[in-house]
Order: sequence, then C-alpha cells, then structure tokens
Amino acid sequence: MHKKQIAITLGIMCLALTACIVIQLKTVSNSNTTVSQSLKENSLRDEVLKWKEKYDNVYVDLINSTDNLERARKQATQNDTTSMAKQQEITLNNMLLGLTEVTGPGLEITLADNNTGLNKDGSEVLDISSQIVHNDDLLQVINALNNAGAEAISINGQRVIQTSSITCEGNIIKINGQRISSPFKIKAIGSPGLLSGSLNMIGGYLYYMKEDGVNVETKQVESTTVEAYNGIISYKYIKLKK
Amino acid sequence: MILIAIVIGCILGAVIGIYAPMVPYTYSGYLAIAIIAALDSVFGGIAATLNKNFNLKIFVTGFFGNAILSILLTYLGQKLNVDIYLAAIVVFVGRMFNNLAIIRRYYLNVWENRNSKKTVNSNEKAQ
Repeated sequence: MHKKQIAITLGIMCLALTACIVIQLKTVSNSNTTVSQSLKENSLRDEVLKWKEKYDNVYVDLINSTDNLERARKQATQNDTTSMAKQQEITLNNMLLGLTEVTGPGLEITLADNNTGLNKDGSEVLDISSQIVHNDDLLQVINALNNAGAEAISINGQRVIQTSSITCEGNIIKINGQRISSPFKIKAIGSPGLLSGSLNMIGGYLYYMKEDGVNVETKQVESTTVEAYNGIISYKYIKLKK
Repeated sequence: MILIAIVIGCILGAVIGIYAPMVPYTYSGYLAIAIIAALDSVFGGIAATLNKNFNLKIFVTGFFGNAILSILLTYLGQKLNVDIYLAAIVVFVGRMFNNLAIIRRYYLNVWENRNSKKTVNSNEKAQ
C-alpha cells in the first residue's frame, strides 16, 4: 500500500514536470528566439516580444469592440429611417477610407525575387539587384494600378490607403509601418482587363520587370478580397477651412 | 513499480504538454523558474534515496513549494525591479550540482567496490 502510494505520487509529479517542460519548449521554439551571448540583447528581445504580445491582445480587443459597435449601431437604427441613412453613410465612408474588407473583380499580381542569378535566356545576370523586387517597383505598380482605375489595393494583406508609405528597410520593405518581404502578393479591385493591360502591355511596368527576370505572375479574377486597413487613421494638423 | 509509474507519468506528461495550449511569452519566464525548482527537487529526491533518508512528504512539499515560491519571488522581483530570479537560478542550479555530485560519488563507490571484489576473486582463483 505504502509503495503504491509513493509510486502514484511520483508518477503525478513526473507528469506535471514533463508537461511543464514540453509546454515551455513549445513556447520558446514558437517565439523563435535565438539565445544571444549578451544579456542586454536578450532582455531587449524579451521586451520586444512582450510588447508584441500586448499589441496583439489589444488588437483583438479592438476588433471585438468594433464588432460590438457595429452591432449596437444596427440595433439602435433599426426602426429609424434617418439614422438608418446615417448608418449607411458611415458604412460607405468606412469602405471608401479602407477600413472594411471589400470584394470585387480585379487583378492579383505576385512579384517574387529571382534568386537563380540567371537571365531569361539562361545567361548569368550582371546586376543581381535588377532581379529583386524593390520598394520603387511596388510604388510604380501601385501608381500604374491607380492610373488604370483601381479602387482598392493591398500588398501582402496591407491595405494601401491615402497615408500609406512604402519604404525600403534593408532587405525588407515597410508598408503602413509593417514589415513585408518577397513574394509580394498585390490585390487590386477594378476592371480586370484594364488593370492587367496597363501593366502587362509592351512598355508597361510589369513588362520591364519580366524582361529583367523578376518572377512576375498576374491573374485576372472574377472576385478577390482586399483586406481592411488595420491601423488607426489620425490627423493632427488638418482642419476644415471656414 | 515505482519506475513504471515514473515512466508512465513522463510519457503522459509529454503527451499532455504537446496538446496543451501555449503559455504567453510574458509568463514563460515564470514557468522556466518553476521547472528549474522542480528539477532541483527531483535530483534532491534521488540523492536522498541513495542516502536512504528519503521522505515522501518532504519531497512532495519541496517539489511544489519550491516551484510556487520561486514563481512568487520572481514576480516580486519584477515588481521591485530586482532580478530575483537570478538568485533563484544560482541557488537551485548550485544545489542541482551538489546533488548530482552525491549521486556520482555513490555510483563511483559502488563501481569501485565491485571492481575490488572482482580482483580479490580472481586472485583467489589464481591461488
């Protein structure tokens, strides 16, 4: 009896210990930290991870509250035509600002770095940089899309709105303050034929990128979903002119 | 019996750990300290068994008590902006080394005794 008791207790303790160790291993490997030799670097990385976690939590809260707000608005305006019209106006404005997910026909473009170092005809490339997607390329493509009448554009899930900037940050590109990297998936809503033609025609921007050997793929689609802008639009300086 | 229970406990624990949800990164530091404390208790228990003064009650309370106490101290340290967890790591790992040394010496002794017996036996046979 006594031995049985000891065995069961030890078993339960081993269970708790190994469960804790495995969970810890999983957490550490998931947060993909490489342990650095310097203590300061480690603590800084720790700090960043903690803030990121807090940000994610708050962001989930934000999404939930936006949903709640939407529901409350709907309920409040159910039996009132004037407020219903206002509600519709708010929805429309949010759509135009890029704060809601939108769908429609359009074009899906995938731009990816060519890492083979070979030209289209198999010869070695002189300037490897010409086969890499730069922030300028994305800017040019967006410009061409806007010129062709695109109504909503996103790159790798980042919606392009009126305050979006696309900058080069070393080997990554930053858009809306978020880091993205190759391959770039650009989704645009508009007339599929027009969008495709303006980029792929001889002399169009994608035509030149293909000539340079960048991996370019375009697809005209009947329906594509462009993600919502997931930041906060705030203005400090502009005012209405009286 | 005891060995079987330990092995089953370890396997079940690993399975539970694989399917359990992940700990938020903020709390993984506390879990790490608790694991170190628990490991220290385990090695202490093994060393005590070898010395034949193993007491289950002391072992269990040490196992859970040390883990919880170290978590609380780490939390307190974070509130006071002192890295108390460093002290906890030093103490627990130091004790772990001590216990491992005791275990090593015990088995070294056993091995040496067996060797000397063997040589005595072979000497007797030769005579």
